[in-house]
Amino acid sequence: MVHAPTTRELLSGYIVEHQEDFYRLAYSYVKNRDAALDVVQESIVRALSRADSLRDPDRVKTWFYRILVNESINHFRRSSRLVPLDVLPAETPGEARDDAARLDLYDAIERLNTAEQTIIRLRFFQDMKLEEIAQVTGVNLNTVKSRLYQSLRKLKEMTKEDCNDA
Amino acid sequence: MHESWEQAKARYEEIPIPEELSATVQAALRTGSRQSARRRRWLRGGLAGLAACLCFCVLVNSTPAFAAAVADIPVLGMLARVVSVEQYVVHDAYQYIQVDLPALENTGNTALEQRINTEIRTRIHQVLDEAEARAKETQEAYVATGGSEADFIPVDVTVDYEIKRSDERYLSFLLSVCEVRANAYTQLYAYNIDLTTGRQLSLPDLLGPDYRKTIRDAVLAEIDRRTQSDPDQMYFVGSAAEENDTDWADDPFSADPQFYLNSDGQLVVVYEKYAIAPGYMGQPEFVIPLPEGSDVSDLTP
Repeated sequence: MVHAPTTRELLSGYIVEHQEDFYRLAYSYVKNRDAALDVVQESIVRALSRADSLRDPDRVKTWFYRILVNESINHFRRSSRLVPLDVLPAETPGEARDDAARLDLYDAIERLNTAEQTIIRLRFFQDMKLEEIAQVTGVNLNTVKSRLYQSLRKLKEMTKEDCNDA
Repeated sequence: MHESWEQAKARYEEIPIPEELSATVQAALRTGSRQSARRRRWLRGGLAGLAACLCFCVLVNSTPAFAAAVADIPVLGMLARVVSVEQYVVHDAYQYIQVDLPALENTGNTALEQRINTEIRTRIHQVLDEAEARAKETQEAYVATGGSEADFIPVDVTVDYEIKRSDERYLSFLLSVCEVRANAYTQLYAYNIDLTTGRQLSLPDLLGPDYRKTIRDAVLAEIDRRTQSDPDQMYFVGSAAEENDTDWADDPFSADPQFYLNSDGQLVVVYEKYAIAPGYMGQPEFVIPLPEGSDVSDLTP
């Protein structure tokens, strides 16, 4: 048990240092300040109570992001079933394909499915390497690559721009 | 194209960071370390317990000298009182359950042990049955609304306990059931036993008939002290609270909180998450001063 406190200290230090990154990522899923705070809080509690399963301290980043992404998606899914009608965006799906409307890239990302959104955010907003994304999302590197290219194609379609500079 | 990504990233980085983020993170770190400290304790206790159990029953019963000697060693003394009788993990498509079930032993009062142990067991089984039903329901709703079964993150339930005070006279421990779905919620059950009488302690026993007022005064004073010294802390009650904070809720002092006795001989009350403070404050604890002449604060070696 001698090494356990150091793992925990390392984890706590890492969490404190990067708390703003965690919050922004959580917020980008749940789109609500209180919900994002909740997600960050629950992720930290869960991470610390499972700190013993962090075998390799070098992986603290991907290990923690995995918990954070899971919590965010879980929260997002639960709450998205409960969106009050008056909060729903007024637009219809048809408008997305309106050739005249060129979607802003940031808004276009919101239209991707959750797995694609995760890859795009981790790659472009958190500047993660593809191998790191594979560890966070728990899929293999080739799947990450193909999902990334597929997402970029969709984004290109929606924004009418070439997003392909991954 | 670089330009659009730069703009998108700039928008992402413009997501404002709320003031209470750092307080939320600190509170979560405290809660998390408390939970992991409990987990480590049983890992260590598991090994010591195994060795101890092998020779304990025989020795304690056969030689009073050994029993007396053991009671002086704090760790072994505790093991003689509350032990884990069942540890198991259930992991399936919709839940991940980890149980560390405590039971009372070697108190010298068999009737008391049976009563408490049956109560703990019944309570845990009931809680787990309910959690399982909720987990199933959540998973079915998730699949029915188009989620794939493989993507479902199982509901996470942890049953654990923490010994707060254990000596000749008093035994105090908290049984906790923590359920994590999108939110974590921990239900606490406190056991405070006077070993000399075999009775469970109540707040009126400890504080007298006016115990609610005593608790209210002590908690409000402490809340004011905390909110003044640390502006990140926030409560629904106390002089720093907004007037409308408790409009929607019942008076938090009209219900009795859980409590325990700690190893310093103090009485500590614990409020449930959301009862008197926002969720990020966790389960706030307060030391309540005992009346003059109370023998609860006398620590037996």
